Amino acid sequence: MKKPNKLIRNFCIIAHIDHGKSTLADRLIELTGQVSKRDMEEQLLDSMDIERERGITIKLTPVRMFYDADDGNEYVFNLIDTPGHVDFTYEVSRSLAACEGAILIVDASQGIEAQTLANVYLALENNLEILPVINKIDLPSARPDEAKKEIEEVIGLDASYAPLVSAKEGTNIKEVLEDAVKYFPPPDGDEDAPLKALIFDSYYDNYKGVILFVRLKDGKVRVGDRITTFRSDKVYEVTETGVFAPSLLPKNGLFAGEVGYIAASIKSIQDVAVGDTVINADDRADAPLPGYKHVQPVVFCGIYPLDGSRFNDLKDALLKLQLNDASLVFEPDNSQALGFGFRCGFLGLLHMEIMQERVEREFNLDIITTAPSVSYRVVKTDGESLFVDNPSHLPPVSEIDYMEEPIVKTDIYSPPEYLGQIMDLCRDKRGVFGQMTYLDANRVRLEYKLPLNEIIFDFFDQIKSRTRGYASFDYELAGYERSKLVKLDILLNGEVCDALSMIVHEDSAYARGRMLCENLKDAIPRQLFEIPVQAAIGGKIIARETVKAMRKDVLAKCYGGDITRKKKLLEKQKEGKKRMRSIGSVEVPSEVFMQILKTNKD
Amino acid sequence: MAGIYVHVPFCKSKCRYCDFASFPDKIGFAESYMTCVYREMLMRSEELKDYAFDTLYIGGGTPSVIDESYIAMLVAAARKYYKLAPDAEITIEMNPGTVSAGKIALYKKCGINRFSVGLQTAIDSQLEELGRCHNLNQFVSCAKLLKGENFSVDVMIGLKGQTTDDIDKTISVASAFGASHISMYALTPEDGTPIYTDYLNGELPDGDEVAAMYQFGVRRLKELGFERYEVSNFAKKGKQSRHNLNYWRRGEYIGFGVSASSHIANVRFTNTFDLDEYFKCILSNHLPVIDREEVDVDGRKEESIMLALRTSEGLNVEEFNSLYGADFFKEYSTALAKNSPYLDVQGDRVRIKDEYLYVQNTIICDFLS
Repeated sequence: MKKPNKLIRNFCIIAHIDHGKSTLADRLIELTGQVSKRDMEEQLLDSMDIERERGITIKLTPVRMFYDADDGNEYVFNLIDTPGHVDFTYEVSRSLAACEGAILIVDASQGIEAQTLANVYLALENNLEILPVINKIDLPSARPDEAKKEIEEVIGLDASYAPLVSAKEGTNIKEVLEDAVKYFPPPDGDEDAPLKALIFDSYYDNYKGVILFVRLKDGKVRVGDRITTFRSDKVYEVTETGVFAPSLLPKNGLFAGEVGYIAASIKSIQDVAVGDTVINADDRADAPLPGYKHVQPVVFCGIYPLDGSRFNDLKDALLKLQLNDASLVFEPDNSQALGFGFRCGFLGLLHMEIMQERVEREFNLDIITTAPSVSYRVVKTDGESLFVDNPSHLPPVSEIDYMEEPIVKTDIYSPPEYLGQIMDLCRDKRGVFGQMTYLDANRVRLEYKLPLNEIIFDFFDQIKSRTRGYASFDYELAGYERSKLVKLDILLNGEVCDALSMIVHEDSAYARGRMLCENLKDAIPRQLFEIPVQAAIGGKIIARETVKAMRKDVLAKCYGGDITRKKKLLEKQKEGKKRMRSIGSVEVPSEVFMQILKTNKD
Repeated sequence: MAGIYVHVPFCKSKCRYCDFASFPDKIGFAESYMTCVYREMLMRSEELKDYAFDTLYIGGGTPSVIDESYIAMLVAAARKYYKLAPDAEITIEMNPGTVSAGKIALYKKCGINRFSVGLQTAIDSQLEELGRCHNLNQFVSCAKLLKGENFSVDVMIGLKGQTTDDIDKTISVASAFGASHISMYALTPEDGTPIYTDYLNGELPDGDEVAAMYQFGVRRLKELGFERYEVSNFAKKGKQSRHNLNYWRRGEYIGFGVSASSHIANVRFTNTFDLDEYFKCILSNHLPVIDREEVDVDGRKEESIMLALRTSEGLNVEEFNSLYGADFFKEYSTALAKNSPYLDVQGDRVRIKDEYLYVQNTIICDFLS
């Protein structure tokens, strides 16, 4: 038995959004000299455009660093950056499984946030050593002692030794590195045992095939080795191994305790699942590493190519994204209004938004997305029960005995002055009050049970706008409850548009129908005839608006010099028409399908 | 059938809506400019020697602001360098307040037989708002000088504060003083013109209001005996503008002067909009063309349809088929079916129904590839 290198430290960073995680990571990388300050792009680890623009981390990104510690040794640090948002808990759990330690960043002025807490518990469950770091001590509002006290009271960690840093200004960063050496244990395992490597992420490279991000627990892997995984029977020959510097840096051979990547000309995205264990095909390990808990999507929507002929491109895009993010699920779907596309499942609203954006940006596809839905449990009169996440797949009303909807347990954190507004909102959203806890003089935790379909509508925006951005919230699924749900249909010029149907609670159906008709009236361009826009429940019309017929659409003058210009104007108008979908005789711009989400005119 | 267009880019002042090539401060260059125009006509004469022209249109700007002798020389040059039919339609644009009895007499003497008068509106406050430098009285004097002549009047709708009564007055005055032809346009606020700020500030009538004004105008004109032959043009029987009809039938024409456009042998080209550059080109014996586009068969078909559907006579399918070796009804069956409620198909004629002529873009788009 050969123990792994004692000079390796594998750790991740846990922090709430905006508490400075990526900035601290950048400082660590900078101080260990991996990347010169000049060559550094702001927030190195957030490499996707979307991540930089939104200032959030979506994907976990590993990076290897060398650190000359005060004890005279050179240590290898593998830092695995993790997302902070509630939707990406799944990603967090993946990176935790590859680490022995976690740096917990707490904002010196804001204290611990709900989501941070959830991730800390996740880390503790994974037996990770936690090093608290108090960040943003440069802010005038910083209260480092209170933050430390909060860590001790809320989590029960000893925070007395927590470094006080300012990642922004680079204060005390070295202390964090020294503490990482001191407090995080070296990796465990056996280099002489058969190979066992946890796949914690992967992506598809056009030249090298699938790149596996792995953490070796036991054994070693070299170029030329024949590998397979526990769940697959296909064997691949390793073509390249390496580390993250932070871009891929080839290095022949990875050993127990190390974090790195493996390329083995794996062509098929489906053959290697994140969470699976890579083993040596000629020296098979007997048992896999514990994988991750399988996550269920909770929010669903339809994604269709704007240009119907690009269905296969969309399929490829989704497959490639799935390789990188196993939590994305999808199956082919067909809509009368939108043609062929996919019904996709996501971990949450942000996850959905990010995925939609990635499809458009990374694969250069124009897509139409339908309003998000949740998965309902439908019990039919014959006793059969089924789950329906697509309103147009709902059985006829006469066959439905009753329906159940997913409920979430929500923790809302807010300064006390906004309690009234939050409680009003939760009542409007059919919330059931649980309890209220004063965390300190400035923060209250409200517990509510809310139907998930109310949360996916505009809950987040409402919470933020009603509390001027001060409140935050967290939710977790808490089972299904029976509810009075109806299918709300939208008719354009007398024809049901399946892509606009939605399942809503009976009590809010009328208001929702009215609002939808009003929004659609403004979003649908005027055409040569009058278009009635109606909302209906089971054939009964509950609201109506009218898109008036267009009265002027003409290029006034058209003489000698104008002809070329006017033709171009008409061609441009024609291009605009191409971006529309025909619902019966009505031409509808693709944006309309998201109008369903808007609550008020803006 | 082919036309000649000559652009005279001078005006007394610039109207607030104008985005044409017109240079009110450069009227002193009129003589040099016209000399260049004659020369440009000469430069093209060899190339176009086989063309028979039957219309000449002198537009602007305001051609009537320059000395009438230049106009007389221009008509003479056109006759000298080109085969211009003896009974050619020769039109000149003019603004009230820029003409005298003597001027009109010379125009007539040199062969001009059609006049186009820029009235725009009979309401003086609206004329002032538009930056026009004439009033209703001056129009009346001008119209009296044109008594018995074949003349057209321009009318604008969609003006700030305009009512249907105002439009009624404008049309009635034009008709009462003997206009045989009326062009009725909606004001188009072009970016970069002073009136565009009125538009941005929401001071101009919206599309629905303009549509209502237009429908009112169409009705009123019909009552007065003016038949619509193109979406913006109305004429007494037999008084249609032959020059403009040629545009809408996708005919050939040659343009001279700054910003003038031409369509010869399926090539569309445009002269420079810059007066100095125009001078430089001509004086160095170069053609002042800045834009040139050869129209391919698909483009020709599109143009034919787009232009023909503006007119009341519509598209002559038989002509279209023989010209392009096409089968119109088969090729455009989708567009035809989709727009069947808005089209009038009779034998070999396809036209947009009267009541949909003002929303024609939507319909025409379906016929573009």
